[in-house]
Amino acid sequence: MTRKMRGKRFTMIDQMEPALKGTEYDLYFGPAHPGSGNFGVKLKIDGEIVVSARADPGYLHRGFEKLMEYRTPIQNAILSDRLCILEPLNWNLVHAEAVDELMGIDIPERAKYIRVIMAELSRIQSHIIWYGVFSIGTGFDTGFKMSFGYRDYILDLFELITGGRVYPAGYICPGGVRRDLPNGARDKILKVLDKMEEMIKLEELENPALGARAKGVGVLKVKDAIRLGATGPVLRGSGMDTDVRKDEPYEIYDRLDFEVPVGKEGDVYARYWIGIEEIKQSIKIVKQALKELPEGEVIASNFKKPKIKFKMPEGEVYVRNEIARGEAAIYMVSDGSGTPYRIKVRGPDFLHMIPVLEYLLKGVQIADVPAIYWSLNICPADMDR
Amino acid sequence: MVKRSEKAKTMRKLIKAIWIFNWFNSCGFAELVPLVGSRWDMERFGMIIVGTPRHADVLFIAGYQTLKSIKRAKRVYEQMAEPRVVIALGSCTMTGGMYWDSYNTIKRLEDYLPVNLYIPGCPPRPEAVFEACEKIFEHVKELK
Amino acid sequence: MDTKETELLDKIKSKFKVDGRIQRERRIWILTDENKLMEMCNWLKECGFIHLSAISVTDWLEDGKYELTYHLWSYDDKILITVKTKIDREKPTISSVTPIWKESAQIHERELHELFGVKFEGNSDLSPLFLEDWEGAPPFRKDFDWREYVREKFYDKENEREKVYYD
Repeated sequence: MTRKMRGKRFTMIDQMEPALKGTEYDLYFGPAHPGSGNFGVKLKIDGEIVVSARADPGYLHRGFEKLMEYRTPIQNAILSDRLCILEPLNWNLVHAEAVDELMGIDIPERAKYIRVIMAELSRIQSHIIWYGVFSIGTGFDTGFKMSFGYRDYILDLFELITGGRVYPAGYICPGGVRRDLPNGARDKILKVLDKMEEMIKLEELENPALGARAKGVGVLKVKDAIRLGATGPVLRGSGMDTDVRKDEPYEIYDRLDFEVPVGKEGDVYARYWIGIEEIKQSIKIVKQALKELPEGEVIASNFKKPKIKFKMPEGEVYVRNEIARGEAAIYMVSDGSGTPYRIKVRGPDFLHMIPVLEYLLKGVQIADVPAIYWSLNICPADMDR
Repeated sequence: MVKRSEKAKTMRKLIKAIWIFNWFNSCGFAELVPLVGSRWDMERFGMIIVGTPRHADVLFIAGYQTLKSIKRAKRVYEQMAEPRVVIALGSCTMTGGMYWDSYNTIKRLEDYLPVNLYIPGCPPRPEAVFEACEKIFEHVKELK
Repeated sequence: MDTKETELLDKIKSKFKVDGRIQRERRIWILTDENKLMEMCNWLKECGFIHLSAISVTDWLEDGKYELTYHLWSYDDKILITVKTKIDREKPTISSVTPIWKESAQIHERELHELFGVKFEGNSDLSPLFLEDWEGAPPFRKDFDWREYVREKFYDKENEREKVYYD
């Protein structure tokens, strides 16, 4: 067989019409997922290509914003853990900052450093879950088991300091933090950080199949990302250099030295790479904060004796923070009584799971749907509230 | 000597492992998934997670359920084959828990599904989940 | 006071004749009427406020009004502006800002339509988002008492364990 003939035969195969025509069907992706809460997506599929996607939220809707209107700020501090189960301390911090700003409280320095240490440890733990769940979504089971094994070191630290493995029972409360670090906590934290560095070395030996599944898939350009409301790692993966910790520093982030990793392509691989780099930066932040930790009180003096009810002055605030998934904000209105009049919770996942997901899933193959879905680092509890 | 049916005798011999279909709501996810990880390895006890309810013996309802998700959970329960067991995790399934005054969550799981075992806690520790699974083994041994 | 915030606030006050104040660094709050809202939002987007952070509704029961708040962030100036307007509570309608901020505004308005009952004219999709088969008043209004509703629908006064919820 001559080379010319062989070439002709191959082009004939390429030009063959797709054999299946008129095979449009509906597929419901969810609601039981191996790695997140309940969330469903209705897909319309034609052969192998997704024609359109429509998100179906509401499996976890509890009506948080109105539940918080019936409770006082101290009770809300405990409820705010459960806004997103995967990073409770970060949401604790947002709520505590909102009440602090509304009441005009000055927090002692030591409390600010401890708050930042706990928030960064929670961010590391959340990114480990992201890595594990992303691995199982793309078929790398060992990564899942390994990452959840390493995550338990941090959960043991949380149990030592706050008393709860998963829910810290409102450790970061208005006025500071509830109790001081116990003896020996500092050395334990440093040991755990060494284990985290060991884990990153293992994570970086990536699976070669990951490159094929992740590079060039699910590309999001900067203009589209801003129009759809993306924030956090999703926006940074597309190339925009922005981070609430650098734009409007809260607590002590303006005194710490860290970098913000920014991707270029905007595909699934860029977001995955940002997740690993952010763990390294968080380790750096915690080490710096531990070195500079000053002595002193950990809670403001008028909050030392616990009081369930205290009056909040009239006013309104809007507080923004950077949690592991993006930009989180709370808008709190108070009318002078002991309970907040209205709390609006703005979570990053509300925007990532509905507009961004519907946009990214158009025109991709079915096999790419899990990789794109898990790369957005979603938490359905945050979306439904 | 207790008279047992033929079916129960064979079940006693076969049950060394249980297969679980996890119905992860958020709260259960944070506490049950570490069970699969390398620290609290549940495969050494013979428990694995399967992808379809038809292969499963145990339905784990982990966390609070809303009106929308309990309808789907009921469908899943109907698709499981006998003998089947339902385990309810957390205090939200017992009395409503922390969301007792929410308009969209259900307050008592036993009104909707026949529950065999409750595990209290918010959230319960992994050791509690293992103890519950031990009780399931004994429950099956006492089947007539 | 910082110069960037005062400059911006003076420009807005002179152009639109509205009330406003600077709360602290990077926070400006502006009160306006419904008819000036679209023009002001268009102008603010030209100035660099391309990120719509959130839209929220506060229910003032005694005044009989809904207060809408639009929180806008600018990546260049790093300032957050909140635009507040009041509309009637019994028939709440207002024109939508989806022509300006597209999808990110549309999803916020869809949620508020379901939970508060506000009609946004111009929004292409106001179908229910979270609740399935909900017949009744929008659930987040101040006159819908959740504890009464829950006691009637879910709990049982005769039950020993649940008597506590009836105090």
